[in-house]
Amino acid sequence: MRAVCWHGKQDVRVDTVPDPEIVQKGDVIVKVALTCICGSDLHLYNGYVPTMKKGDILGHEFVGEIVAAGPAVTRFRVGDRVIVPFPISCGACWYCKHELWSLCDNSNPNSWMMEHIYGDTGGGIFGYSHLYGGYAGGQAEYVRVPFADVGLEKIPDGIPYEQVVLLTDIMPTGYQAAVYCNINPGDTVAVWGCGPVGLLAMKSAKLLGAERVIGIDRFPDRLQMAHSQCQAEVLNYEEVDVAEQLQNMTGGRGPDSCIDAVGLEARGTGIEDVYDLVKQTLHLETDRASALRQLVKACRKGGTLSITGVYSGFIDKFPMGAIFAKGLTLRGGQAHVHKYLPHLVKLVAEQQIDPSSIITHRMSLEDAPEGYRTFVKKQDSCIKIALKPEHAAQKSEPASA
Amino acid sequence: METSTTEQGRAYRGQAHTRVNVGPAERKASLAGGAALALSGLWSVGRRNYLSGLAMIASGGMLLYRGQTGHCGLYEAIGVDTVHTQESGLRIEKVVTIGLPPHQVYEFWRRLENLPRFMKHLASVQVTGERTSHWKAVGPGGLSTEWDAEMMEDTPGQQISWHSVGSADIPNKGTVEFKEAPGNRGTEVRVIIDYYPPGGTAGRAAARIAHGLNAQQLEEDLKRLKQILEVGEETTARRTVE
Ligand SMILES: [Zn+2]
Ligand SMILES: [Zn+2]
Repeated sequence: MRAVCWHGKQDVRVDTVPDPEIVQKGDVIVKVALTCICGSDLHLYNGYVPTMKKGDILGHEFVGEIVAAGPAVTRFRVGDRVIVPFPISCGACWYCKHELWSLCDNSNPNSWMMEHIYGDTGGGIFGYSHLYGGYAGGQAEYVRVPFADVGLEKIPDGIPYEQVVLLTDIMPTGYQAAVYCNINPGDTVAVWGCGPVGLLAMKSAKLLGAERVIGIDRFPDRLQMAHSQCQAEVLNYEEVDVAEQLQNMTGGRGPDSCIDAVGLEARGTGIEDVYDLVKQTLHLETDRASALRQLVKACRKGGTLSITGVYSGFIDKFPMGAIFAKGLTLRGGQAHVHKYLPHLVKLVAEQQIDPSSIITHRMSLEDAPEGYRTFVKKQDSCIKIALKPEHAAQKSEPASA
Repeated sequence: METSTTEQGRAYRGQAHTRVNVGPAERKASLAGGAALALSGLWSVGRRNYLSGLAMIASGGMLLYRGQTGHCGLYEAIGVDTVHTQESGLRIEKVVTIGLPPHQVYEFWRRLENLPRFMKHLASVQVTGERTSHWKAVGPGGLSTEWDAEMMEDTPGQQISWHSVGSADIPNKGTVEFKEAPGNRGTEVRVIIDYYPPGGTAGRAAARIAHGLNAQQLEEDLKRLKQILEVGEETTARRTVE
């Protein structure tokens, strides 16, 4: 089959690799109908996530049709159209049983790596480095999906793949970011980053009852999208002092909740940005923290910081004093996708939300290298790229066990 | 997963300074460990890790020489004599929480033949009598050691302990405790394994290698046990059947 493979920093290629097979009883093989490039794939692309190996298949956002199922699979049959959550969860451990799906104890076969770095492990993730299990990703014609009965969600008849492909990651990620804000009537939610997750977090915050949402970015086309799609007020952080402006907009209080939808490659302004960039380049600091520092400063007293952008390591100059003085709550982590899927599928089916509206680019899987280049440079107003594999006609399906 | 590793004891100062100052058991361990070190050294060099590879070949070669001649210049220099002195052990201890009641985890462990399913350094465990069993371990490069073990304590649902008997290359004993975890979290499984490698730091290194077991591996072993018991099989990111 054809698959998008990582070959090194800013080097991805479409290679021919062996088809996946049913390896364990609970596996299914999904024939990928649609797959997306995620903002967090850009961290892999730019070489910020360790333990990538040449030839690793990328991609953790994909939907498709089941073409083979292991003997233990009971909830699905060959021919079912399915949404595949990006975290892999066993369904049997304490974390899975407590709906903390992305923190699964058993689905990361390389758990010792994260245990040594972070103190404990999270679950495996499709196509997201050996730190997260070394699973092959979904930017491919076919994918082996373990624990099918636990993770997958059926796509109701009549709903096109495009409307649900973002339910694999960024829609639930944005939704969880908003849920973590504990939104009350009258609340203002400020969102740093008007990329895909930021936009969907704004939509979710509105859906969960926020009175106002404020989008913060430096790209005018992204700010425009936040304004037109999410009815957000917008701030360009290169043009204004964000914390001061947010105070002005909220009667001197500050936003009730602040969402970080930027992550470790955040850009700031001025000397602080240069400091982070230099230290990150010299590997003295793994993550750039300018957005995170702004969140802390801007948030109202007793408010919540909801962190959904990916951070991988260490941050310097983190304003712990302000967190203490203002009594802030910090929440974050990978989305527990399984928990939100049924509800979100229902919202899509009832046309209360259409995540596909943020897809700006549609390409063939074969064009993935170009897609990565466009996305990383934020060219051509690129927000979200969906890739469609060109399954060869009469191609033999992968063998079932 | 909570982890801890402690090393206990060290060699005593030897009295007699004979030409042969490395005990026979340690000579065997040295041979095995030396070969393993030299092998993995070669492998490292093959992978272009020149510095560590060369260091391993050097120390591996030293162990081999020691095993063959029964003499260790280093030991002589620092006054260690393992022919005539007793050595205390190396301890590896790990604990993991498994989401099943203690008696179920105990039942699985009590069928000793199950141990190699998750303990990767074990090739096999054969039950030979009511309290006796025969163990085979594999180190790197296919080196293997065997020993007989006897169960000393067997309290259903709570604890099993065993020790090696007869002429084990590396005498060892182990205990596994099964304790109910608070708040319906299942069972805290604590494993403590003591080795009595023949002689000093080099002997301890050789023992680790000959047995192929260290703290990191025991930790991964217990993760596998957890997967087998909670999920039903060892989880894998493999794409194809091998
Ligand atoms: Zn993603
Ligand atoms: Zn789990």
